[in-house]
Amino acid sequence: MSEIKEKEPLFSAKNLKLLTEPIDSKNPVTVLVLGICSALAVTVKLKPAIVMAISVIVVTAFSNLIISLIRKSIPNRIRIIVQLVVIASLVILVDQILKAYVYDVSKQLSVFVGLIITNCIIMGRLEAFALGNKPWPSFLDGIGNGLGYGLILVIVAFFRELLGSGTILGLRVIPLEWYVKNGGFYENNGMMILPPMALITVGIIIWIQRSRNRKLIEE
Amino acid sequence: MSLLNKIKSMDRNSNLYTFLYASGMVIVVAMLLAIASTALKPAQNKNIETEKKIDILRSIGKTDGIDEAKNKHKFVAEAFQKYIPEQLVVNINGDTIKGLEAFNIDMKVELSKPLEQRNLPLYVAKLDDGSIKYIIPLRGRGLWGPIWGYLALNSDLKTIYGATFAHQGETPGLGAEIATPEFQKQFRGKTIFEGDSILTFTSVKVVKGGASPDDTHGVDAISGGTITSKGLEKMLSDCLEPYQNYFEKIHKSL
Amino acid sequence: MEHLINIFVKSIFIDNMVFAYFLGMCSYLAVSKTVKTSVGLGFAVIFVMAITVPVNYLMNKYLLLPGALKWLDPEFASLDLSFLSFIMFIAVIASMVQLVEMIVEKFSPSLYSSLGIFLPLIAVNCAILGGSLFMQEREYKTLAEATVFGVGSGVGWFLAIVSIAAIRERLKYSDIPKPLRGLGIAFILTGLMGIAFMTFMGIKL
Repeated sequence: MSEIKEKEPLFSAKNLKLLTEPIDSKNPVTVLVLGICSALAVTVKLKPAIVMAISVIVVTAFSNLIISLIRKSIPNRIRIIVQLVVIASLVILVDQILKAYVYDVSKQLSVFVGLIITNCIIMGRLEAFALGNKPWPSFLDGIGNGLGYGLILVIVAFFRELLGSGTILGLRVIPLEWYVKNGGFYENNGMMILPPMALITVGIIIWIQRSRNRKLIEE
Repeated sequence: MSLLNKIKSMDRNSNLYTFLYASGMVIVVAMLLAIASTALKPAQNKNIETEKKIDILRSIGKTDGIDEAKNKHKFVAEAFQKYIPEQLVVNINGDTIKGLEAFNIDMKVELSKPLEQRNLPLYVAKLDDGSIKYIIPLRGRGLWGPIWGYLALNSDLKTIYGATFAHQGETPGLGAEIATPEFQKQFRGKTIFEGDSILTFTSVKVVKGGASPDDTHGVDAISGGTITSKGLEKMLSDCLEPYQNYFEKIHKSL
Repeated sequence: MEHLINIFVKSIFIDNMVFAYFLGMCSYLAVSKTVKTSVGLGFAVIFVMAITVPVNYLMNKYLLLPGALKWLDPEFASLDLSFLSFIMFIAVIASMVQLVEMIVEKFSPSLYSSLGIFLPLIAVNCAILGGSLFMQEREYKTLAEATVFGVGSGVGWFLAIVSIAAIRERLKYSDIPKPLRGLGIAFILTGLMGIAFMTFMGIKL
C-alpha cells in the first residue's frame, strides 16, 4: 500500500486512514458496537462468513458512494427512507447475484443476506460519514468499515470451524487419527458450533484488543 | 433539460420536491431491480434445477463425483439422463397422464389440490446392474417450514431402496437431523406394504425412543425433534398412499 | 390451537431472536444499561412485531409470492415479485413505525413519552426485519400462525433485553478485568445466557 500512497494522491495519508482505522481502533463491531446483529449466526463455517463479509463490504462501499453522490439533492425529511431504499436495493442485487452464482452458500446464508439491510454499520456510516463527505473518501470509509466488520467475522468463524469441526474452509486440519473414535485423544468441541459461542468469542476478541490498546477501555 | 434545471433549483424542503424525488427514486430503483432480476433468473433457475436432480439422484445413491465435477450442471444433467431414463405422471386411479413432465411438476401446487385432481410424478431409475427403482417425490411440513425429499422403491414396489430428505429451516442438531445420512440410512429395507402383497398400505412410522430392529415399518425418531419427526411421518403417508392404485396396476402386469 | 401454542413457546424460548439468532443486538447492547429503559424498548419491540409480521404476511401472500397477484387479474398468475420482498418489508416496517409513533402520540401522550424515543430506533432493529424474513422463509400457513410467531418473537426479545439489563445493573459492583468492562463482559454474558436458554431445547413439544 505504501508504494501507491506516494504515487497516487487518491491514497493520501488522510484517505488511507479512513481505510485502516476501522480495522482496529475504530472497529465498528468491537468499538462502536454496530452491526453485530445479522451476521454472527453465519460464523459456524468459514466459507459463508467470508461470503457474508464480502457482501457487507460491497454494500457499505457502494451505499456510501451512492449516498455521497446524491447527498446534496436528498430532501431532508425522507432522508432515512432514501437511505433504506438505496441499501435495500443493493442488498437485493447482492442476494440475486449470490443465488445465481454461489447457490450453495446463498442457501446457508438464507435470511441473513436480507438482514444486511438492518446492519447498523451501513446506516450508521451513511448518517455519520457519507452525508457530509465527498464520494471518494466515503467509498474508502465504506470499504474500511466493511473490512473491520469482515475481519471480526472471519476471526470468529476461523476459531469456530477449527475447534468445532476440525476443518478450515472444509479442509481437514486436525488429523482424523487424533480423534477418540479412531483411538486418539482428541474430540471436537461441539459447543463451538452452538450459537452462544460466537458471542463469547467476540467477547474474548474485545478483551484481547482492549488489553493491547488501553485507550479503548470503558469507564 | 430545462425541466431538470427547474427541479434542481427547487427548494429541497418543499413538498413538491420531496414528492418528485421519491417518485423518481422509486421508478429508477424498480427498473434497475427488475432488469437485474430478469437477467439473473436463468442462472438461478439452473441452480434450482440442478439441485432437484441431485436430490433425486441421492435417493438412489448416485451422487459420487458431483462435488469434484468441473461443470456441475453438465455432470448432474448427464448422470440424471443416464440413471433416470423414464419419468411419468399418474393420477389417483393409477392412470398415466399424458402430456405432462414429472420434473416440471411443483409438489407445492399439487399438494394444495384435492386428491382426485392431483398429478403424481414418478421417476423410474435404472441402475448399472439393470435393476429398476421407482422414485417418488415427497413434500410436507416440519416445525418451522417445508420439508421435502425423495423415496426410492425397489422393483417389488414395497421395499425402500433409499431415501433423502431436505428442509428449509429446521433447528440445527434437532429437526435438521433428518437431512443427515445417518437418519436416512435407516429407511433402507423398510417396507410400505403389509405382508407379501401390495394391498394394505402401511407407511413408515417414526418411532419415539427407537424402533425395534425387526420392525419393518419403523425407524428411530429424532430426539428433541418430535414435530419434525411427526411431520416427516405425515409427509410419507400423505405422499405415498396416492400411488397405491398405480402400483397395483404394474404389479398385476408383472 | 395446540400448534399455535407450540409456535408461541418455541419462538420465545428455543428460537429466541437474541440468543439463537443474534438479532436486534445493536439496540440490545446499547439500551440495556438500566432495566427501566429496556422495559420500554422491549414493549415497543413486541408492539411493532405484532403489527409488522402479520402485515408483511399479507403483503407476501397477496403481492409478492409467485402468482400472488391472481386476485387482481388472472393474467398476473405468472408474475413473481419475490425479489422485491426485502424492500417491501423494510418499507412496511419503516412506515408502520412512523404510523405507530403518530397514533401513540395522538392518543396516549404518557405512553408516547415513555415509548416515543425508542420507536425510531426500531426501524433499523434487525429483530423486526428478521421476524418478517423468518415468517417468509418458514412459510407459515395462516395469518394466525404469523401473528403468534410475531408476538412470540417480540416477547422473547423483551425477555432477553430485560434480563441482561438486570444483570448489567448488578455488574457495577463486581470486579471485572478492566479491558473486559462494558462491552466485552456484555457479550460473554449474552453468550452464557444463550447457553442457559438452550436447555429449553430439551422440551418436547
